[in-house]
Amino acid sequence: MIGLIYNELLKITGRWRSYIGFIGIAILMPLILWGFSYGGGEIHDEYASQLGDSFIVVGSIFNAFLATYIVMNAFWIHMPFLVTLAAGDAVAAEGAAGTFRIILTRSTSRLKILFAKLFATWIYTAVLILFLAFMCLGIGSLWLGTGDLIVFDKGILILDQGEAWIRMALSFGLAILVMCVVSTLCFMFSSMVNNGIGPIVGSIFLIVIGYIIMAIPIEMFEKMEPYIFVTYFDVWQHAFRDPIPWDRIGKSLGILFLYTASFIGVSIAVFLNRDIKS
Amino acid sequence: MILKTINLSKSFGSRKAVDNLSLTIPEGSVFGFLGPNGSGKSTTIRMMTDLIRPDAGEVFIQGKSVQQNHQKALVNVGSFIERADFYKHLSAKTNLEMLARMDGKGFDNIPVVLERVGLSDRANDKVKHYSHGMRQRLGIAQALLAKPKLLILDEPTNGLDPQGMKKIRNLLRELNNEGITIFISSHLLDEVQKICSHVAIIHLGQLIISGKMDELISESELFTTELRVNPLEKAKSILESQDWIHKCDERHGSLFVNVSPGKISEITTLLIQNECKVNAIIPKTSLEDLYLSKTESTESHT
Repeated sequence: MIGLIYNELLKITGRWRSYIGFIGIAILMPLILWGFSYGGGEIHDEYASQLGDSFIVVGSIFNAFLATYIVMNAFWIHMPFLVTLAAGDAVAAEGAAGTFRIILTRSTSRLKILFAKLFATWIYTAVLILFLAFMCLGIGSLWLGTGDLIVFDKGILILDQGEAWIRMALSFGLAILVMCVVSTLCFMFSSMVNNGIGPIVGSIFLIVIGYIIMAIPIEMFEKMEPYIFVTYFDVWQHAFRDPIPWDRIGKSLGILFLYTASFIGVSIAVFLNRDIKS
Repeated sequence: MILKTINLSKSFGSRKAVDNLSLTIPEGSVFGFLGPNGSGKSTTIRMMTDLIRPDAGEVFIQGKSVQQNHQKALVNVGSFIERADFYKHLSAKTNLEMLARMDGKGFDNIPVVLERVGLSDRANDKVKHYSHGMRQRLGIAQALLAKPKLLILDEPTNGLDPQGMKKIRNLLRELNNEGITIFISSHLLDEVQKICSHVAIIHLGQLIISGKMDELISESELFTTELRVNPLEKAKSILESQDWIHKCDERHGSLFVNVSPGKISEITTLLIQNECKVNAIIPKTSLEDLYLSKTESTESHT
């Protein structure tokens, strides 16, 4: 199985489309950090004037942690676009290239091949999110420094530097799991077709529909919300609440797991019974 | 028997691509699989290699069902289906390494198969820089990678020049001499006749004929015979006027006559009676004649 996953990673790294997300993050993050370092003074002064009378803040308020928190909030809607770029091709690209004829005629089961592709897609997803973390926290801490993290969410939460690192690790860990749901959704569509673009469009379409349902305050839509997987995409934000709502995190992850299992189930049913005509 | 299909059927929508096809491929044979475009050859081959699931019937390789036990049935099978498509951004060697990882048999055989198809010196080149002929040869190399006992080849000489075809033909002969059974589909009847010991013809998804090549040709309903005769034009007009002669063409100073096997002696008598000098009678019956007679007669029935 490890050999099969290695094969799939070779294929992913060989496609230029797989690098779009990395290139985008590598270009955007320094720009955002540069913007923060120049425009951050105003935000810093505003925060400091509001908090200065009540709290002793260690280090700079406007540091890598706050920048990362702001970036994650801003990036969150867009990350699925980047994640699906590899997942869309995972199965469909083989159909388009005609390479199913050399891999599915060997004495390896389709199920193993499918799971190798899925695991490789998850690895890609995790690496992309970790790259974002590295660019935000790694480059950010060199550029902006570190300090306490101040989060405004139903009140003010101040986390000291040591705690902030732990919360950041937890939030990026949860983010990886959420994005794996997105990549599994796209993977499911990829197992049905021979074109990598269709699964990307299909996945983003579903996610956008979910966001729209969440954004419109209509009773019918509000009733639907608990059943829509997009509702639980913000689970990473729970890492910045105090105390950490483990029960809500558990419930969100449980529901996302059920969705993921369903997507995988559909992928298996489709792929194992699919006629390869290309 | 190394490969057997039992009552194999497959439809796409309302079109029946393969209809109740039963084939038996003897071990050690070179088995030619023929049929016009759209006759169901590729669908059959894809069912043999588990790319397409049959609606009914089953394929057995060395007694193991491809549909029920994919892994064990295909463990000794190498296949090349239609085109040699690879991961073009990777080298030939990396492509073969990926496939060897899937076979779980290590990389030892990679230099051997590359040498065998004459690609050793280009092993590290990316496949996107390969010519069509080189890709076809790499296609054969990947089929040989797992040291198969059965090779299933669908149009392996497609688009090759005569030298390329000859190289593949010689390679297939060598492989067969080493004990590998070869199942080959091709449009090139002359190629098939040169290398195959057995042949099957399908048309409209149904098996028309199957058996040993020599026996089928000798039992053919029509013979093509080359006649070297003088004067040519007179002989041609005499023969064309006979309703028991199915076809009479002039090529390269000879007449090629299509006639039932029992009528050949009558041709000689007829020409001599009409004062034509018969210099030579050369039997030219070919797989092409057999193929055309079988597929055309099926078409006329349908």
